[in-house]
Amino acid sequence: MSRSNSVDRLEMIVHSGCSMIRREFLQLGMGALGAAAFDALSPSLARAAASNDEEKLYAEARKEGKVVWWTAHYALSAAEAVRNAFVAKYPGIEVEFIRQTAQVIYQRLTQNLKAHIREVDVFASTDEAHYLALKNQGVLAAYTPLGISNLPKPFQDIDPDRTYHVGALGLVLINYRAKLENPPQKWTDLLDPNWQGKITLGHPGFSGYVGNWVVAIWDKYGWDYFTKLAKNKPKIARSIFDTVTDIVSGERQVGAGPDSNSLESKAKGNPIEIQFPTDDSILIASPVGILKEAPHPNAARLFENFFYTREYSTTMAKTFNYPLRSDVAAPSGVPLEKVKWYRNKAQRLEKAIPDAIAKWRETFGV
Amino acid sequence: MVPEAPVGSSAEHRFHARRRGLDLSIAVWVGVAAILLFMVIVPLAFIFVASVHSDETDRLTLANYVEAFSRAIYLQPIRNSLLLAAAVAVVSCLCGTLLSWAVSHTDMPARNLIRNLVFAAFVTPSFLGAAAWIFLAAPNSGWLNRAWVALTGAAHGPFNIYSLGGAIFVIAMYSYPYTFAFASNALELIPSEMERSAALLGASWWRITWRITLPLVRPALIAGAVLSFLEAIAEFGTPAFLLIPAGQQVITTQLYLFFQFPTRPNLAAAYAIPLLLVTAGLFVLQQRLLRRGRFTTVAGKGAVREPFRLGRWRWVLFAICIIPPLCSLILPYSALVVTSLSRAWGRGPLPGNLTTHWYRWALFENGAARMAIQHSLTYASAAATIATVLAIFTAYVAHRRLLPGARILAFVAVAPFVVPGIILAIGFFSAYARPPIVLYGTGWMLIAAFATRFLPIAYSGSESAIRSIDVELENAARTLGSTALRTFGRITLPLLRRHVLSTWLTAFIPSLRELSSAVFLFTPATAVMTNVIFDLSDGGNFEPVSALGVLMMAMAFGLIAVAYPVIGRTVLIHRQGS
Repeated sequence: MSRSNSVDRLEMIVHSGCSMIRREFLQLGMGALGAAAFDALSPSLARAAASNDEEKLYAEARKEGKVVWWTAHYALSAAEAVRNAFVAKYPGIEVEFIRQTAQVIYQRLTQNLKAHIREVDVFASTDEAHYLALKNQGVLAAYTPLGISNLPKPFQDIDPDRTYHVGALGLVLINYRAKLENPPQKWTDLLDPNWQGKITLGHPGFSGYVGNWVVAIWDKYGWDYFTKLAKNKPKIARSIFDTVTDIVSGERQVGAGPDSNSLESKAKGNPIEIQFPTDDSILIASPVGILKEAPHPNAARLFENFFYTREYSTTMAKTFNYPLRSDVAAPSGVPLEKVKWYRNKAQRLEKAIPDAIAKWRETFGV
Repeated sequence: MVPEAPVGSSAEHRFHARRRGLDLSIAVWVGVAAILLFMVIVPLAFIFVASVHSDETDRLTLANYVEAFSRAIYLQPIRNSLLLAAAVAVVSCLCGTLLSWAVSHTDMPARNLIRNLVFAAFVTPSFLGAAAWIFLAAPNSGWLNRAWVALTGAAHGPFNIYSLGGAIFVIAMYSYPYTFAFASNALELIPSEMERSAALLGASWWRITWRITLPLVRPALIAGAVLSFLEAIAEFGTPAFLLIPAGQQVITTQLYLFFQFPTRPNLAAAYAIPLLLVTAGLFVLQQRLLRRGRFTTVAGKGAVREPFRLGRWRWVLFAICIIPPLCSLILPYSALVVTSLSRAWGRGPLPGNLTTHWYRWALFENGAARMAIQHSLTYASAAATIATVLAIFTAYVAHRRLLPGARILAFVAVAPFVVPGIILAIGFFSAYARPPIVLYGTGWMLIAAFATRFLPIAYSGSESAIRSIDVELENAARTLGSTALRTFGRITLPLLRRHVLSTWLTAFIPSLRELSSAVFLFTPATAVMTNVIFDLSDGGNFEPVSALGVLMMAMAFGLIAVAYPVIGRTVLIHRQGS
């Protein structure tokens, strides 16, 4: 076991926040005992503590019997694979889930909250602004998942209040039909009149990924970009995954699409390729959070913990999504550290996405 | 003394019985009125209040109307909707008239087949047709376009389903059965003497049709066209599938967007009210036309009609008449079945691409789909039962004038007809997603909405059924001292048995395939099949969409096949048109 791994496991104990003594022990340990001595000692210690909490949680969760999960993170097939992996690891707990575009599940959640309906446990949107709004309403539960320290550092503390955490990583990049001559290399290439009638896009009013992409491009190139893009008469679908359908079926040639679904489709033998744009792929670190009024609170915690297990990351990779943990290989073959990416700030998204939707409607007519 | 006591007590007994009967009647009247109030009046009142209210300032305002009807992006959908509905009305009027004339007045071959196919098109929801037509006629990937390119070597195929024209075509292919029902009703009832006289005087079949038959049924044709217009303007699924990719909105998709993030419920309410006025106005117009239409059919009922002998032209006519069923059934169902059996629909029906996975997925593997199938069946059954009970009761009370104000009840029972599903849903949502009555989140939200939405259909069926029952049997029972309710239960209801079943079915089938109101009212825990189909349709999950669609229609047609021997097709289809 490598040293950094052991330290990770120790940090896990700290984050689970169960014991001050352990924290002091760790701090002491790091200073006085030295890392070498720790290597031998820590794994078993950490494992014992984590599994202890986990077992208790699992026992409580089993009594609840199920967890209700609304997700916009990935395609239906990936969500099904996550469910299967969870159920395999924790038999006796059913996962009831729906997959829909981010704005749609958010809308349903706000409707439920207004009507005081307790239905969902774990809410997994792709638009971080949703979580800022939900936090303001005080409806998210603070919780630090076991194993959150398995995440790469930049994604560990996206919410200082720990009401939501990174649950999936994905990119908006250029996807195109295989064997296309001179596929676009960067976002501005899509403005070339050669692509007229050949582009496919999702809709920011439905999809969180598309909303993220629109805000990022807007901030990079100004709204003028979209005015010009509209002249190329793109086909506007609802979900970002529709771009893959359009390219694979030959309906359109290029799109602003997701990495995961494009790669999955390619692996099935469909004619589709991806291009990391030289002017940045748009990285979406999709949050996951637990509702304060979750009807199955323990199952919800167990499920959120699951996001940081190796099983989850392996499932991600198998379904062509970026794994959360860096110890699982990326399905694109390009690890995230090597990708030139850009990420919107949550505060910017909160203000900009409603504006972007309104401006989009005026520019594209839908 | 001795004989007096029983006489007195029996008179007293009768008096009490009558009073109890009266009390019961009042209680029942109040009960039914309360249910109708709850189902129809309250939701509509909530829409109206929301339209003149601002949730932000909590004040009354007209600003919602100003915003809804001054911005170009909100006006364009209205123009599109009117254009779409008018064009659908024209197309379906042409198709419906031609088919019903061919079936009722000529010796065209396979007339019964055509009748059955029209009925099957009627049962199929247009959003399924829209999904199927994406596979068939998407501009570049559609199978028909690809076949065209392969055959002719042209650069592009001729069809583009992602267009206003495409949406008009698809909706018309599922609404012409309305005009068909109206027209064939009228065509069978018009006096045959006039046509026969003209034939004796040597007029050709063409001239008779043009100068005598069609003018006689014109009111019914217009009434059918108006109904198609109402259907088309209220349609949500097909525009969502076909027009959003085309960059076009209609009123219903715009209403849906108002409820997406960021939500604008007040604006949505203001935007909905004029649509409501248009549909109500058209309905009144349609009713007037029908009344005039009936007037002309008083004479010559029941005469045996000699069909026009078309000779060689019979097959030409058949070839023309099979086109609408081809477009609404044969092609779309083939596309749906093939897609539902494909691993990836974009690759087409190749041997390596075939699988039964999606059916297993829908029936066993995916919990959400399985639950949705159960919900669809239970909610539609419950809604149909409620609608049937209410409809038969209201129709009986109204027709026999049993209670004061019964005609008002009848009016309220028919009123939801003019309310587009999406608007009814907005009303239900504003009324019953907050205390004191919270139905949202429970199956009752959908059940109540479906029951309301299809109450008018059930009512018109029940009304014609009750009209057909001779009142004398009931009078006899009443004369012998039976109460009104007892008479209804022991005499009327048994006579109505067959009609009860057909009324139930005419409310069940539209409830099973209802999308436009369900899309607003479900939560994932109460989702029905149409919700799951609509959810899956984005993200390009067309294979499970097709599998679920095929399953849904298999249930509908299976049920009809079981009920058919009992009630007969004509009852069903005429019922829808009346």
